Amino acid sequence: MSNKPNSTTATKNGITMTTTPEDHLIAWLAALAIAIHIMESVLPSPLPGVKPGLANVITIAVFILYGWRIAVWVSMLRVLVGSILIGTFLSPTFMLSFSGAVASLIVLWLASRLPGEGLGPVGLCLLAAMAHMFGQFYIAYLLFIPHDGLFKLLPLLMTAAVIFGIISGIIVRSMLQHLDKRKNNTNTMISPRNEQEK
Amino acid sequence: MTRADYCAVLFAALLLPYLYISQWTGSEAGVAASIMNGGQTTQVSLAHDHTLEIDGALGTSIIKIEDGKIRFVASPCLGKQCIHSGWLQHAGEFAACLPNRISVAVLGEEPRFDSINF
Repeated sequence: MSNKPNSTTATKNGITMTTTPEDHLIAWLAALAIAIHIMESVLPSPLPGVKPGLANVITIAVFILYGWRIAVWVSMLRVLVGSILIGTFLSPTFMLSFSGAVASLIVLWLASRLPGEGLGPVGLCLLAAMAHMFGQFYIAYLLFIPHDGLFKLLPLLMTAAVIFGIISGIIVRSMLQHLDKRKNNTNTMISPRNEQEK
Repeated sequence: MTRADYCAVLFAALLLPYLYISQWTGSEAGVAASIMNGGQTTQVSLAHDHTLEIDGALGTSIIKIEDGKIRFVASPCLGKQCIHSGWLQHAGEFAACLPNRISVAVLGEEPRFDSINF
């Protein structure tokens, strides 16, 4: 794959594929998110469903830099390819990961409609993490463990979501600051969608 | 941090205590128990102390009700998991003797009773 952000045409076995710069952008960012997703999947977890969710750092950063549509692509590709590579595709793990990702994308869409200056990285990450937890918890309750006892876990799971959400928000914020600095220094590549992020 | 960020953090800070309080405290005391024997369900009130003898698939299980609590005291099974479950008193608690096909679930105020036997 070419890393030059120009429209490229590749022909292989008689099949011609034309890719736009946007395709390349999505592919690169999704690859980054997938790598983090897979690295994270080997971390031990104290409770099923509790995980730092660092791959969502990419989703939120992409949402802030390039908008909701690209974030949907990156997030969905991450869940799909990540699960295929780990070997959990269509398993309960995948279902939970997928429903969590969908829930947080819905919240991000709502956030993108907010008037005024809207949410910054920390608020976005926090709400996305909580939505992710609610989404996967609800699907777990609906499909896998339809017992009211499951709700006893919700406070703990939510606490983890809030803590990790805020931490990844801080990571996103410092990441964007670095990108901003780099842009100012070398005047290259990244073109933020909105300049309000500082 | 924008104003919306602070609102989000405040929302999380209010939601967490609410979740802990609503899910972890005041677990409702049971008022009745539902006893399943094979496919048949009977409900008993926990208000009166007494002992039940229930004939299951293997033999007779003895279930005791005392001070609004219920437990298996004897069962003809091998593992005795049901007896080790101990006293059940909160709505939603559950003990089962699978070999004898008898289970006990404590019910709270919420569900409507079809019938109550004393």
